[in-house]
Amino acid sequence: MATMGSGARQVPDNRFEFRLGRMFAEAPALPDAELFRLRVLEKLDRGWTARRLLIGVMGAAGGLVGAVQLVGSGDLGALAALSARSDAYAQRLLDQFATVAPLGVPVAGEVLLTAAVLAIIGAGFGLARLIRDI
Amino acid sequence: MAMAPITRERLAGAHDLELTAQAAAGDRAAFGELVRRHGSAVRALLRRMGAEPAAADDVAQDAFLTAFERIAEFRGEGAFRAWVSRIAARAWVRRWRREAQIDVAADPGEFMPSGLDAAVTPAADTRIDLDEALKALSPAERLCVSLCYGAGLSHGEAAAALNAPLGTVKSHVKRGLDKLRQRLSPDGDDGQRSAASA
Repeated sequence: MATMGSGARQVPDNRFEFRLGRMFAEAPALPDAELFRLRVLEKLDRGWTARRLLIGVMGAAGGLVGAVQLVGSGDLGALAALSARSDAYAQRLLDQFATVAPLGVPVAGEVLLTAAVLAIIGAGFGLARLIRDI
Repeated sequence: MAMAPITRERLAGAHDLELTAQAAAGDRAAFGELVRRHGSAVRALLRRMGAEPAAADDVAQDAFLTAFERIAEFRGEGAFRAWVSRIAARAWVRRWRREAQIDVAADPGEFMPSGLDAAVTPAADTRIDLDEALKALSPAERLCVSLCYGAGLSHGEAAAALNAPLGTVKSHVKRGLDKLRQRLSPDGDDGQRSAASA
């Protein structure tokens, strides 16, 4: 709060300034206060929706660019060749897994891969929830 | 850990600090309650600073959005209303300066409001309210007085917000206070009489 100078006039000046501050604080309730509240919340929601859309669009664009780059670079062919070479090793691993944990269901590479991906997604969700809670 | 959201029934009775904590955790209903409580005061302050009602509402809405984004910075050392009022006042000053409605530093302070004779003190039996009294001030005086006494800025903070010399702001505040004292106290001696009788 602003203050006036010191001296003989200090008391009256401070009294008036105090009264003025109080008058500013005693603002009348405007009749459309509820409408104003709704408008603010609407703007707030609009802002978040716009952000979500922007993030989604940017993610999709980035994914598309990444996919085009991947296809264009020929890395997919190299990846297929690598996968074929590792097939034998993966099969040995699966055989050993089946002896250690006989599940009674066919254990294929796809099943393990799917399980691993689901586990990673689950861990991601868990981490996101943890960060939000903290 | 995250707090449980306040139920709708409890919102009205919750303290501002509790509501700001909930709002900081993302509870929009809690923030809506804060807007309901303090929206009118912020809008009234902007109008008193000289904003047209539509512009005041616009700036006040943006100020509350800014407050929501920065609510984690609110530590509760002061009142929420004062905090958001300062945000709104500074936003209005930025807009005011951008639109270059008046140069605070160059404003001579000689101002004759339309429909109001600033030199005439109201009759002793008519105590006009603050909104009417502010109309007797020049735009710069009105802005400076509102910043200091409505938004709670110091003279230095007001000068920084207005990008004007400190002395100029002090002059505007002093002239504005003199005019307000004259208008809000019909006999022109508010306080002095009380001090003398004490």
